[in-house]
Amino acid sequence: MSEAIVVNAVNDAPPTPALLLDGVRYGYAGTRRWVLDGVNLEVAAGRVLGIVGPNEAGKSTLCLVAAGLAPAAIGGRLEGDVLLGGLSTRDANPHQMAQRAGILFQNPVTQLSATAPTVYEEVAFGPRNLGLAVDEIADRVEHALGALRIEALGPRDPMRLSGGQAQLVALASVVALRPPVLVLDEPTSQLDPAGTRLVGEALAGLAAATATAIVVVEHKTWLLADLADACALVADGRVVVHGATADVLADDRLVELGVEPPPAVRLRRAAAVRGVALDSAVVDAVAAARLAADPDTVEPVP
Amino acid sequence: MTAVARLEGVGFVYPDGTRALAGVALELREGERVGIVGQNGSGKSTLVRQLNGLLRPTEGRVTLFGRDTAGVHVAELARTVGLAFQNPDRQIFAASVRSEVAFGARNLGRRGAELDRAVQAALEAVGLEGEAATNPYDLGYSRRKLLALASILAMETPVVVLDEPTTGQDARGVERIQRIVGSLGETGRTVITISHDMRFVAESFQRVIVMRAGRVILDGPPVTVFAAEHAGALASTFLEAPLAARLGERLGLGTTPSESALLDALAAR
Amino acid sequence: MRGWSGPLGMLAIVLAIALAARLGRAMRPYLLATLPLVISILLVNTFLYPGATDRILTLGPVSATWTGLAEALQATARVVAFALSVALLALTTAIDDLLDDLEHRGLGRRTIFVIGSAIRTVPRMIERAGEIVDAQRARGLDTEGSVWRRARGVVPLAGPMVLSALSEVEERTMALEARAFSAPGRRTTLRPLPDRPAERALRWGLFLAAVVLVGLSVSGRFPLP
Repeated sequence: MSEAIVVNAVNDAPPTPALLLDGVRYGYAGTRRWVLDGVNLEVAAGRVLGIVGPNEAGKSTLCLVAAGLAPAAIGGRLEGDVLLGGLSTRDANPHQMAQRAGILFQNPVTQLSATAPTVYEEVAFGPRNLGLAVDEIADRVEHALGALRIEALGPRDPMRLSGGQAQLVALASVVALRPPVLVLDEPTSQLDPAGTRLVGEALAGLAAATATAIVVVEHKTWLLADLADACALVADGRVVVHGATADVLADDRLVELGVEPPPAVRLRRAAAVRGVALDSAVVDAVAAARLAADPDTVEPVP
Repeated sequence: MTAVARLEGVGFVYPDGTRALAGVALELREGERVGIVGQNGSGKSTLVRQLNGLLRPTEGRVTLFGRDTAGVHVAELARTVGLAFQNPDRQIFAASVRSEVAFGARNLGRRGAELDRAVQAALEAVGLEGEAATNPYDLGYSRRKLLALASILAMETPVVVLDEPTTGQDARGVERIQRIVGSLGETGRTVITISHDMRFVAESFQRVIVMRAGRVILDGPPVTVFAAEHAGALASTFLEAPLAARLGERLGLGTTPSESALLDALAAR
Repeated sequence: MRGWSGPLGMLAIVLAIALAARLGRAMRPYLLATLPLVISILLVNTFLYPGATDRILTLGPVSATWTGLAEALQATARVVAFALSVALLALTTAIDDLLDDLEHRGLGRRTIFVIGSAIRTVPRMIERAGEIVDAQRARGLDTEGSVWRRARGVVPLAGPMVLSALSEVEERTMALEARAFSAPGRRTTLRPLPDRPAERALRWGLFLAAVVLVGLSVSGRFPLP
């Protein structure tokens, strides 16, 4: 990718994290409940933070707050500080936030602008809003489509995509804005295993190549096991455990709170409960073995 | 066991010319729990829609309890086959959880105490008995999805089809769905489930059907489908056996598709 | 009576352009769409024109009149001319190009968005309606039976459409904000439309002609419909 992407809001002192949540409490407008109730998190440039937690723990709300949309775009009460590249989300306009943090919602269909006749133009929607030069837009759109291997969808009508395709297009449309921080709410919920792995590889590549800080909410902990540098377990609006991915995903509280651990952790745990000896090294080696399939072997229906 | 549904040489071509199914021959039996896996676009959803007439085969035929479904209204076929869709928001319209769950059963003619009992049982199965009076849109997505599932359970059809029931569910939600699938099977009902989650499929279903490009490429119990000899066929459609199965092969324990099978084999060694 | 020259002149121009653009066949559905209106205009004017006495024939309590028939034919010509001009615009103008160009000429991005998304969302809405119908039929809703049975299905079919649209509004708004929709300044035009001098001259010519015609009409010198 071109040099321009590495432009990061963080150009002063190295300790400034790309995203910092400090003592954050948040409640939606018109309600009295704190959906987030004292969240401290930080993500450095180029790092991936996985968020896990039971249903209705506040993960989606955390995404809105981290991306600066809550309260800037939807109101509500915010206490504590959310800093994107050192700038408080309280002080910025929504469009300024758009250049600092990109967000992918759970439902990809709502994310598409519905104004573009082609996927290519849909992905170009954000960059066009910024008034970028045509060449720059073309470069960004092509990179975004390429990173997710959906170049072939370019000429298609965005209103006529399958759920999985729409999810990839929505992700590309966020990536094309090249924000220093990317917040993704279950980006693989509608994808099959192959599509999920593809998104995982694309995100890892993005973090490494462009120093993008990524926050990703996932039920599929096996994906986080490969992708995330750190994980946070969220329940009842609080961060219960925060640390290195392997530690968090092996933590007992994960299971207690109703989060599905990765298969390797599950198996080791089950073996321990049964009192059966199971070599951890073998489990990890088998779990990590990559699927070796040639993408071109799928035959069309005769 | 009695054949509940039979597909004979079923092919399906969408009006725009896209072929979604080719030469599918299947027999689904009473009380059988069947998991269907395959990539997005492999024809899984098209296949299950042949069962209740939402789509009609363009080749071959579909019979339910020996009766050809051709020409039978979907509303009539719904007495036999209940289909829970992936997206709950495409069906929810009622002002309360209870009336949403009652909708299907009511359409099938259930009334009074019989209806109340079916609705209550369905609500308890998905754990929403405490939300009967709640507005469905006040529930989060994962619970709306359980609500949609309950509305199909309340119809008490002999065949229940679930299209990706576990997406968006946490571990507790998945366990709940596993329990529901198990108890449906015990009461002699046929459960057909589309899923991307191989562990869920290996643990909860007696039979696994693997689809690729509109055809059934593997069909058998998990212990066969997830055996090492079929790893290539699975990989050809970007799937892999659950970890327990792969680990069992690696440790020379044979095919152990579920965690309990693996642990049993380890304990017996 | 308002005169024949306007509607017939308009019809002649539209038909000439349609034939030159080989759109004769494509315009047929638009013509058919006017049929119900045309039939009612013919019947009502021919038989019920107020104050006309020049009878052609009498059918029970009503009479057809020459004045009424002439008025009916004129009104028909106007309706058809109007429908065909709309058809011509729809068939010769790519809506995306039109919107892109209007935006390039300074129409606000919000206006463009509202028009564009209203048009683009139609196939999505049709697809969604299909999914809803399928979901309710799978729950035993009879959509194939008698009219009465089908009428009972309105709420279960319309409900999810409205509810899901409403529940998506907030998320859609946020999604737009997150894609810098409210950024200041002008949006980039991806496909600037070529605008040849001849086209430009023609546009101005037509605009001036319209001004002159309206002026003449208003002053009463050349009354148009």
